[in-house]
Amino acid sequence: MVTIDLSKLSVREANAAFGAAGERGEDIEVLNPDARHHIGVGLVAPVTVKVRGSAGYFCAGLSHGARFEIDSNVGWGVGDSLYEGAVIVGGNAGAIAGVGLRGGEVVVKGNLGSRGGQVMKAGTLLACGNAGFLAGYMMYGGRIIILGNSGERVGEDMSAGEIYVGGEVQSLGSDAKLVEPSEADIASVKAFLTKYGIDFSGTFKKIVNAGTKLRYGVNEPVSRPLPHTVFSEADTYWNAKVAEDIHAKSLIGRYRIRGYGASKPVPHFGDIALKIDPARVAAASDALAKVKLATKIGDRHGAKPLELSMPVMIAPMSYGALSKSTKIALARASRLAGIVENTGEGGMLDEQRAEAKQLIFQCLSGRLGWNIHDMRRADGIEIYISQGAKPGLGGQLMAKKVTKELARVRGIPEGIDLRSPSRHPDIMGADDLVIKVEEFREATAYSKPISIKMGAGRVRDDIKIAYKDGFDFVQLDGLQGSTGAASTEVLENVGIPTLAAIQEALDGLREIDAKGDMPIVLMGGIKDGVDAVKALALGASAVAMGTAAIIAGGCISCMQCHVGNCVVGIATQDPEHEARYQIDVQSKAIARFFEVVRWQIATLVAALGYDDFRDLSRDDLVALTPEAAAITGLPYDPTWADKAEALFREVA
Amino acid sequence: MGNCKPFALDLAGDQSGLPHYEPPPCQVACPIGTDVASYVGLIWAGDKESALEAITATNPLSAICGRVCDAPCEPACRRTASDGPVAIRALKRWVLDSLGPTFELPAVPVTKSKRVAIVGAGPAGLTAAQDIALAGYAVDLYEAQSKPGGMATWGIPDFRLPPGVVAEDVDRILKRCPGITLHLNTPLGAGGVTLAHLSQSHDAVLLAIGASLGKRLGVPGDDLANVMDGVTFLNRINGGERPILPAHVVVVGGGDVAMDACRTAKRLPGVKTVTVLYRRGPDEIPARKYELEAAIAEGVEILYNVAPKAISEKDGGLSITCVKTALGAAGSDGRRAFSMVEGSEFEIPCGLLVAAVGQKSASLELATHGLMEGDIIATRAADMGTRMTGVYAAGDAAFGPSTLVQAMAQGHKAAYYVLAALEGEAHPVPYRVPYRTRNVPVAQDPLWEKLPHAEPPFLGLGKEPFADAEANYDDRTAHEQAARCYRCDTETGSADYSVKTREAIFRMARVDAGPTDFATITRERLAMRPHAPLAGRATFDELVFLPANLTRLVIDPYREACKARTDLGPGLDLAQPMLVAGFETAPEPIRASVANAIAASGGAHLGRAPVGAGVPWLQIVDPGEAVDPRAAAVVVRAGATGALALPTAAVPGQRVGLIVTAETVATALPFAVEAKADLVVLDGSGHLGGTWADLAGAPDLSLLPKAVGLLRTLGAEERFPLIWFGGLRSGTDLAKALALGANAGAIDVAAGLALGGAIGPGGLVFDGVEGRAAEASLGSFLKAVVSECSMMARCTGKTDVHNLEPEDLRSISLAAQTATGIVMAGLKKIA
Repeated sequence: MVTIDLSKLSVREANAAFGAAGERGEDIEVLNPDARHHIGVGLVAPVTVKVRGSAGYFCAGLSHGARFEIDSNVGWGVGDSLYEGAVIVGGNAGAIAGVGLRGGEVVVKGNLGSRGGQVMKAGTLLACGNAGFLAGYMMYGGRIIILGNSGERVGEDMSAGEIYVGGEVQSLGSDAKLVEPSEADIASVKAFLTKYGIDFSGTFKKIVNAGTKLRYGVNEPVSRPLPHTVFSEADTYWNAKVAEDIHAKSLIGRYRIRGYGASKPVPHFGDIALKIDPARVAAASDALAKVKLATKIGDRHGAKPLELSMPVMIAPMSYGALSKSTKIALARASRLAGIVENTGEGGMLDEQRAEAKQLIFQCLSGRLGWNIHDMRRADGIEIYISQGAKPGLGGQLMAKKVTKELARVRGIPEGIDLRSPSRHPDIMGADDLVIKVEEFREATAYSKPISIKMGAGRVRDDIKIAYKDGFDFVQLDGLQGSTGAASTEVLENVGIPTLAAIQEALDGLREIDAKGDMPIVLMGGIKDGVDAVKALALGASAVAMGTAAIIAGGCISCMQCHVGNCVVGIATQDPEHEARYQIDVQSKAIARFFEVVRWQIATLVAALGYDDFRDLSRDDLVALTPEAAAITGLPYDPTWADKAEALFREVA
Repeated sequence: MGNCKPFALDLAGDQSGLPHYEPPPCQVACPIGTDVASYVGLIWAGDKESALEAITATNPLSAICGRVCDAPCEPACRRTASDGPVAIRALKRWVLDSLGPTFELPAVPVTKSKRVAIVGAGPAGLTAAQDIALAGYAVDLYEAQSKPGGMATWGIPDFRLPPGVVAEDVDRILKRCPGITLHLNTPLGAGGVTLAHLSQSHDAVLLAIGASLGKRLGVPGDDLANVMDGVTFLNRINGGERPILPAHVVVVGGGDVAMDACRTAKRLPGVKTVTVLYRRGPDEIPARKYELEAAIAEGVEILYNVAPKAISEKDGGLSITCVKTALGAAGSDGRRAFSMVEGSEFEIPCGLLVAAVGQKSASLELATHGLMEGDIIATRAADMGTRMTGVYAAGDAAFGPSTLVQAMAQGHKAAYYVLAALEGEAHPVPYRVPYRTRNVPVAQDPLWEKLPHAEPPFLGLGKEPFADAEANYDDRTAHEQAARCYRCDTETGSADYSVKTREAIFRMARVDAGPTDFATITRERLAMRPHAPLAGRATFDELVFLPANLTRLVIDPYREACKARTDLGPGLDLAQPMLVAGFETAPEPIRASVANAIAASGGAHLGRAPVGAGVPWLQIVDPGEAVDPRAAAVVVRAGATGALALPTAAVPGQRVGLIVTAETVATALPFAVEAKADLVVLDGSGHLGGTWADLAGAPDLSLLPKAVGLLRTLGAEERFPLIWFGGLRSGTDLAKALALGANAGAIDVAAGLALGGAIGPGGLVFDGVEGRAAEASLGSFLKAVVSECSMMARCTGKTDVHNLEPEDLRSISLAAQTATGIVMAGLKKIA
C-alpha cells in the first residue's frame, strides 16, 4: 500500500505516483484529497485506490481496471469514460456521474447530480439515493439503477440501454418509455446490489428508448445535384435549384441533409493573389531541395510535438462518415507524405493506427469510441467543439452507415440514426474547458499535444478562450468546410468564410498580445498548395485538407455522402460499395497529390524569393475583389492575377 | 439537328475552354473526341434523336463503332475502377440499331471548284472524304476492292460486324455528300489510277490505302501451302467463302486480328479445335478482354508463353515445332521481353496455321515515287503531308496498323490540313481534337450508384454461325446502363469544388504526372479568376449566421426547444412566424389547400381575399377600398403620393396597419407611428397586393434595416410588429429577416412552389396539382421552414427565434453590408 498525501503533492505528481504504484501492483491510499480534481485519472492497473475524503472533478476518469473507494463526495464527472473497474462513492456525486461509461461500475451511495450517465455506452451506474434531472440523457447503452427518485425527464433521448428506478419516476424524457422489467432484469439488478452490499426491498420500474425519434419518417428521394452555375441573383432569383429545394422540403417536412460543404460562392483564396516578384521567378526551379518545409506543432506546453514534413495535415474525418478502407488509405497516405492523420469523430481503428505514423484522436460530445487506450496510443488529442460545415449542430450518421463494426468501435447499438449532442456533457463554458484539457493532460502524462477543433463563428473572441484554456494549437475550420451529412441550410448559412476566420483569429490573438503564441491550423476549402501558400502567408501555421484529399483518392463530388451508397466506396459502410475502393491504388493517389502540394508550396515559396515557408507574409498577397480586401485588409489590386500568370510561364 | 460545320475545321466548336466545361476522361480518351457524357445522358432522358446527333457529330462510322470500336473511352471511364465502366460502346449500338438505318442528314452540295482525290475507302479515307465534301469540294474516292469500308468490310468478321452495318454508314456518308464519287475496283498503280495522274487531275491527294497485307511468321516453313496470314484468311471469309477446313486450326498471335481469326475458324465447317498460340502471358495479351472472353466462351483454346519455331508438313497436315517462353523485365515499350526456354520444344499437329502477327502496307506505285519508308508511307504527323507536295496520307498506311477510331481521327486530321491547303492557309492553327458538350442534365436516377455494369447479351456460336455474336441491349437495360454515368463533365453544385478544380486535383494525383504537369496545373490554378460578383441587389445568401462555440453555448436541440410562437397582436397570436401571402387568383382547390395548410401550421394568411374560414386573415386593401369584417387585421398599401390614412376597422378589435415599401418608408413609417398603427408590413418586393408579387426577384433588403433605424430614431422600436415580405425561400431566409428586425415573414411564390406549382409566364400554374396532396406539401414545407428557422436560432445560441438579432449576422459581400448595415466578416471595422 502506497500512501499519497495530496497536501504535499500536486495532482500531477500524485497521478504519476499512482501510475508507478499501479505498475508495481500496489494499492494506493490518498490522504487529504481536499476535493482536488482529476484524482486517479488515466490509471490503468488492477489496484485499489482509497480516497480518504472528497474528490473533485473527474475522479477515476479515463481509468481501466482499478477499484476506487471514495469515502465522501465527488465532483462532476466521476468515472468519466471508465473502461473497466469500479468506483464506489461513499457520499453524493455531482453532475454527469458516469459520463461516457464504456464499462465498469460506478456506485454512488448518496444522490446523483443531474445528467447521470450521459452518453454512457456500457457498464452500470448506481445511485442509492435520488437522481437529478436528465439521468441517462442520450445514453447509448449500459444500465442505470436509481434506488430513489428518478429526477425530471429521465432517459431523455436515450438511444439504448436501460434505467431502473426504485422510487418515483418524476417525469419521462423525450423518446423514453416505461416497460415492465423481466424477472431476469430484476435478478440481475438485485445481484448487482448484493455484490455491493446494498439492501433494497422495493420494486423497480424500467425505462427504455421508445424508438420514436431514432429514424426519420420520410426520406428524401436520392437526387443528383444541379449545377451551381445559377444562383439567386437579379433575374434568377427563383431558379431551378430554389424550386427543387422547396419541392424536397414540401415532401419531407424538415430541413434537408447532404454531404460536402457550402456550395455558394463566398470570398475565398481564389479572391486573393500571390505577388510574385519577376526577378525571382527563375529561382523557383529545384525548389523542393532548397525550401524548408518541415515544421513542428504542439509543444507550447512541453508535449512531444507533431512533426510535419510540410505545413499540411489531413483534416479530421470520421470512420463512419467514411469507409474503413478510405480511412486506411488516408492514414497510409499521411505516412507516405510525412504528415498527420486525424480520427475525426467515432473512434480509432487498429488498421488506421498502424498505417498512420502520427495520428490525432478526436474527442466529441457523444464520446463515441473515446477511451484511455486509444488516447495513449494517439500522437495528439483533440477536443472538437464544432466544425465549419455545421457549427452548432451535433454529428449525424444515418442508420445505413451504423454497421456492426462501426457500432463496436463507437460503443453504440447497431443500425440507429445516430445523433450526437451539440455540446459536450462537461463543457458548459471556458472554465469547464480548462478543466477538461487538464484531465486529458493528466490522462496522458502531459506528453501529447492537445488541440481544439472549431468552426468559424465569433472567432475573434473564441480564439482568446482557446488561448487561455491552454491548447497547444487550434484547428480552425471556415464556412466552406465539408462533412458527410449536415443540414443544407447550416452548410450554406452558418459560420464565416475561411478567409475571414484566419483574419479574425490572428486579430484576436493580437488583441491579447498573443500573436504567434498559439499555432492555427486552417481548413475549410483548401484545395491544393496554391491555397495553402496563401493561407500560410495570411498567418496560418499549417493547413489541413479533407475534401481535396478525398477527391485525390477518387471522390467524384456527387454530394450524396449522406445516403451511404457512395458510388466509389468512400462515404459508405455497405460492403458491396466499399469493395469498389482500392486502398492500395487510392492511398498512393492521395500521397501523390500531397507530393504535388509539397511541390507547389516549395515552388511558390521559392518564386516569392524565400527559402523557408515561414518567411511568407501578408506582404506577399493582394486582394482581387473588394470583398477579399474588406475581409483581410489586403491591398485591393485586381490586376495582379494576370501578372502572376505571366510569371509562371517561366517556372519548370 | 446536325447543323454542325465540317467539324474538322470547326475548332471554334471546341468548348473545353469555357468556364464551366472540362472534357471528361472518356471524351479525352476518344481519338475523335466523342461527346460521350452528353449522348449517355440523352439516352437516359429518352432523347434518342439528340443522342444520335451527338454521336454522329464527329463520327461518320457510328454504326460500325457501335459494334466494333475498341472503345478506349471505357478503360478511361472513372467508374471502371469502381464497378465497371459505363457501357459506352454498347449504348452507342443501341442508339444506332434503333435509329441508324433511317437516319439521314441533309445533302451538302459541291460549291467549290477544286477537287480532291482520296485513295482507299476505308475508315480514314471515308472520314476525310466526308469532311472535305462537307466543306463544298468534290472528292474522288478510289477503292481497290469491290466494296468500300476497308478493314471494316474485309477485316472484321460478319458475326461481329454484319455487312449491312458497314453499308449503313457508307450509304449515309454518300447520301449526305453527293460530291463524293466512289470509284470501286480501282487500285493505285497498274490497272487503276497512278499517283502521277492523280496529282495532275486533282488539287490534293490523300493516300489512305490501309495496311492490308498480312505479315509472315518469319520461321522456316511459313510459306507452306496450309500456312496463311490472318488478314488474307479474314478477307476470304468476309468475301463470302465458307471452305471446309481441317479439324484443328492453329492461330498464332494475340491481337484483335488473332481473335477474329480464331473465332472465324471456329465457325467454319470441318473445324473441331482452334488453338491460339501467344508468346507472352495472359497479362500481356493485347487482345481486348471482351474479345478474348468471347473466344474462350466459344471454345477456343489459348496457349500462353508458346512461340512457333518451325513448321513442317506431316501426315498430310502440318506440325508446328513450338518452344516455351519465359518472360523477363519490361522493355522500353512497356512490354515484357521474352526468351525461348531451351530444350522445351514440342510439336503441335494441325491442319491449318493462320499467322495473325501483324499487317503492313505495300505499294509498288508509292515506292516508285519514293514515298514509302519500310512498311508505311513516310508521313509528317504535324500536317499529314508526305514527301510529295500536295500528297497527304492517313490511316494504317501512314502510321502503321491501329484501330478503326484512330484511323478516323487521322482522317479528320488529314482533311483539316488538306482543306487548309485548298483554302490557301499556309500556317493553319495546329489541329486538335475539339471537345464539345451539349450540356445535358444529369440523369436523376435513384439507382445510379447501385446499378451494375451489364455487358450486352453474348450469343456466341448460334445455329447461324456468322450471325451476330452479341445482342443489342433492350430499352430498359440501355436506360439503366446510361444512368450509371458519373457525368464527370458536370458541375455538382459546389462553386468551390468546380469541375475544373476537381480535374486539377485528379491530375495532381495521376501516376504519370511530373514536374511539367505540376507547373501547368499550378499555372492554371493561379490564372483562375475570382467568381464573378452576383448581379443585382444583395440577397439573403450574402448574410451568414455566427454560430455559438466557446464564447456562448449552442442550444442542444434534444434538450431545449427553440420557441417560435409569434404574437402579432390580438387575434394574431400565431404558433409560428411564417405567413402565406396572396393566392387571390389561384384555383379554388388550391386556395382551399392553402387555407388548410395555414391552419395546420398555426400561421396566418395575408391577401386581398380570404383563402378560407378558420384561418387568421390579414386583409390587403388599397386606399379607400372596403374593409372586410372577417379580417383579423387590415393593411393598406401606402401610396408614394397622396395623403396617408389607416383603414377604418370594420369591427371592434380589428387590427389596422400599413404596407410600406422602400419607396414609401420615409413618410409612411413615421405616419404609422403617429397614427398608432397596430402593425406594419414591410414589402421588399414592392409589389405586395399584386399577383405573385415575389416574382419581382431579389427583394430590397435595405428596407428592413432602414425601417428599424427609422423607428429607433422615432423612439418607437417594437411599437408594432413588422411583417417582412420579399424573397423568402426558406426558414433560413426567415431567420435572417427576424434577425434584421422583423417579427414575422410572408411568402407567396415559395408557397406556390411548395404546393407543386410551376412558374409560368404569368405567374404560378398548378396544372395537375391535386388539392389534398398540395395541402400536405405546403404543410410540410411550412414545418420545414419553422424547423430551419429554429435551427438557425439554436446554432447562434438562442432559445427563441425572436431573440435573433443583427449581431448574430455577418455580411459576406459589400453589397449586403451596404444594404443591411451588417458588417463584413473578417477584419474588424473601426467605427
